[in-house]
Amino acid sequence: MSRVTQRRPGLVADLTVMSRGWRWTRRSLPPRSAEPHHTFPEPREFPTEWARSRPARVVREVALRGGLAPLVRRETTVEVDGLDIFDDLEGPVILVANHTSHLDTALLLTTLPVKWQRKVTVGAAADYFFDAWWRAIGSALLFATFPIERHGTGLSDTPATLIEQGWSIVMFPEGTRSPDGWTRRFRPGAAALARTHGIPIVPVAIAGSYAAMPRGRNWPKPGRPPVHVRYGRPVRPLPEENTLALNGRVSDALAALLDEDTTDWYAAARRAASEETPTSAGPEVANWRRVWASTAGPAVRGAKARAWR
Amino acid sequence: MTRPGFVLTVDERTPPLLLHSGESFRLQQFPLGTRVIYPAESLPGLPDVDQAIDQALLHPIDSDPLPALLRAGMKLTIAFDDLSLPLPQMRKPDVRQRILERVLQYAADAGVDDVELIVATALHRRMTADEVKSIVGERVFRSFWPDQLYNFDAEDRVNLAHLGKTDRDEDVEISKRAAESDLLVYVNVNLVAMDGGWKSTAIGLASYNSLRHHHNAHTMIHSRSFMDPHKSELHSSAWRMGRVLSEHVKVFQIETTLNNDAFPSQYGFLTKREWEWSLRDQAMFLGTKRGLDVMPAKSRRKLFQQMEAPYGITGVTAGAVEPVHEKTLERVHQQQLVEVNGQTDVLVMGLPYLCPYNVNSVMNPILAACLGLGYLFNMYRGKPLVREGGVLILHHPVPWEFSTLHHPSYVDFFDEVLAESTDPKVIGPKFEQQYASDPWYTHLYRTSHAYHGVHPFYMWYWCAHALDHLGQVIWVGGDRRAVARMGMRSASTFADALELARDTVGSSPSITYQHAPPHILSVVR
Repeated sequence: MSRVTQRRPGLVADLTVMSRGWRWTRRSLPPRSAEPHHTFPEPREFPTEWARSRPARVVREVALRGGLAPLVRRETTVEVDGLDIFDDLEGPVILVANHTSHLDTALLLTTLPVKWQRKVTVGAAADYFFDAWWRAIGSALLFATFPIERHGTGLSDTPATLIEQGWSIVMFPEGTRSPDGWTRRFRPGAAALARTHGIPIVPVAIAGSYAAMPRGRNWPKPGRPPVHVRYGRPVRPLPEENTLALNGRVSDALAALLDEDTTDWYAAARRAASEETPTSAGPEVANWRRVWASTAGPAVRGAKARAWR
Repeated sequence: MTRPGFVLTVDERTPPLLLHSGESFRLQQFPLGTRVIYPAESLPGLPDVDQAIDQALLHPIDSDPLPALLRAGMKLTIAFDDLSLPLPQMRKPDVRQRILERVLQYAADAGVDDVELIVATALHRRMTADEVKSIVGERVFRSFWPDQLYNFDAEDRVNLAHLGKTDRDEDVEISKRAAESDLLVYVNVNLVAMDGGWKSTAIGLASYNSLRHHHNAHTMIHSRSFMDPHKSELHSSAWRMGRVLSEHVKVFQIETTLNNDAFPSQYGFLTKREWEWSLRDQAMFLGTKRGLDVMPAKSRRKLFQQMEAPYGITGVTAGAVEPVHEKTLERVHQQQLVEVNGQTDVLVMGLPYLCPYNVNSVMNPILAACLGLGYLFNMYRGKPLVREGGVLILHHPVPWEFSTLHHPSYVDFFDEVLAESTDPKVIGPKFEQQYASDPWYTHLYRTSHAYHGVHPFYMWYWCAHALDHLGQVIWVGGDRRAVARMGMRSASTFADALELARDTVGSSPSITYQHAPPHILSVVR
């Protein structure tokens, strides 16, 4: 009998196994049964001042205007409304948007007026975007992100410092992307910051990004799916108003914007006045129906009737 | 915070899992639904080990403090575990050195002149001077070697003492020096629940005449398992012998427990859960594996054998043997117990490069079988992880390779005994005496560095419970000739092994992978 001569897999085979196993092109996930035993890495300070320096801003502007914006417009059908609110607005502000997709940050940064885009920075989950140096550098350079500790307690000093330096901040107060396309509870961090610094919050409703590129996809669906970005009137903190009340007003304003996206400004305004704005948290029905409704996406406005059927 | 061990269910998110296979390791994708038993993370080590040693010696359990037991003119013997513990060897200074130095300091302070230190090798090979020095440290070695510090010799008839018989007619025959001392201090390293207790003295310092009563197929089959001392025939026998021993000599037992830091930090990926591997861990795995693949066998073995574990000491306890050992077991359980619901049809293991009997040596096929079927199979409390009639799949190259220096009788055992029968119950009565009394093996055991002639039989007896319980044993990547000689089957790949297992457990068996090392003691409900 002969001895076993087991063929050792080559380097390429090893690399293939590892790249698939650890999802090199995507984020690796703990197995479901390991989730209760999973611990998030210790928070690490990742410096991002360099990403707000002049050379980095130049690189970012070229990348956004010359690369990302055309790409977003090639892969999706973007419609933007409400940009006129920036005409008589002075920064810094906090831009608060609903969050259903990785497309959201790209949509915001590529639809903001250039003057605002140059002076905006994005709060990003420290455990997600800053867990590896290469990911941290990439997101800080391209999206002007700074880390937010979403599993810790208390608010980081960084956003306050940025506001004091005149930077506007994009925040997604739900803390993570929606699993079903509907809005989740707003955390009060953005409202607390606005109150402390006496600056307005600009609600931004993004519709269709869940249908275009939901969780689990790293590229939009083919067929240039429609996405709508609607900027709302600034919500300013009132004297004597507490953080929770302000947070509630921002949440309501965003719900009204989403309502406006499916109806029109006046109808939405009337419903808001009579407190009949549909909740942005979606209907209380079976989960599949919530997902089903979200995956339909918004209608493409102004689409012409087909001449030939 | 230390995370406990747990049972993972493989899903589509699970990356390929690390499997040890001798002097290498591999990544293996397991079928969806496979259960994987992960060990607990390392418990924190004691911040001040020397203080803990002093505390144990001065406040022992059910005994006077050590200084009170020492006096000028007494005969003091200190015995300690040999190089088979811990695995891998621990980073220096070895905890035995620290304890020996403290004990000897107390003896010096009390004016004890007659001190001897014995390496409790039983029928293991004699350790070399360098190996002894690596355990006891420079000071102790320089002061006592070779006349007052030496390896135990189980064939030195003049220096053995027969202390009587147990109530089950078992001979108790141990080192005369130890038996006739005013105080016998034993220094133990407790890696797994099998170690320690009366096993230290009643087995570590015993002759073949004593060992044969429990190192046999019958005892092993009825030790379920020998990692659960309260349900182990082996331990029951050792405890009976220990009680006879305690009628003749006072034993002061010092036991230590270790955490799960079994590999140096650069090989951190070996103990990390795979989905938590960073890019650095992945690169280290790939680099190490590719390096090992192209490395000459000799260099590869040297690299592994030189590895020293940064074990933390989780406890030091001293005093009367039995209460000390209960405390030790508690600590071992705290580190190693993992609860598992139900048995499995197929149990999968990856065997590492090291077992207690190939330190600085070769892991021959018998030792590989002993590691898988003897030690790792028995790492349970309650019921075995695999059901009766189930299949055990082991990953190891099982090289047909023997060290003629360390394992001379293994060569003949493999060629002659296993060629005739692989049934431990058959080979014992027929061949054991012949190997146990062979003058050439005895000569090599006493003068060279060979394991005793009967030792391969003991290794095969360790497998007896598994061989009796299992329906089939399949080796992945093993030398076909060597595996066939042991009466088992070999497969080129894990997929082939599962295919072979179908004959025994059907086409959709439950599969469990025991992700060790570090050690896991499964509590199977």
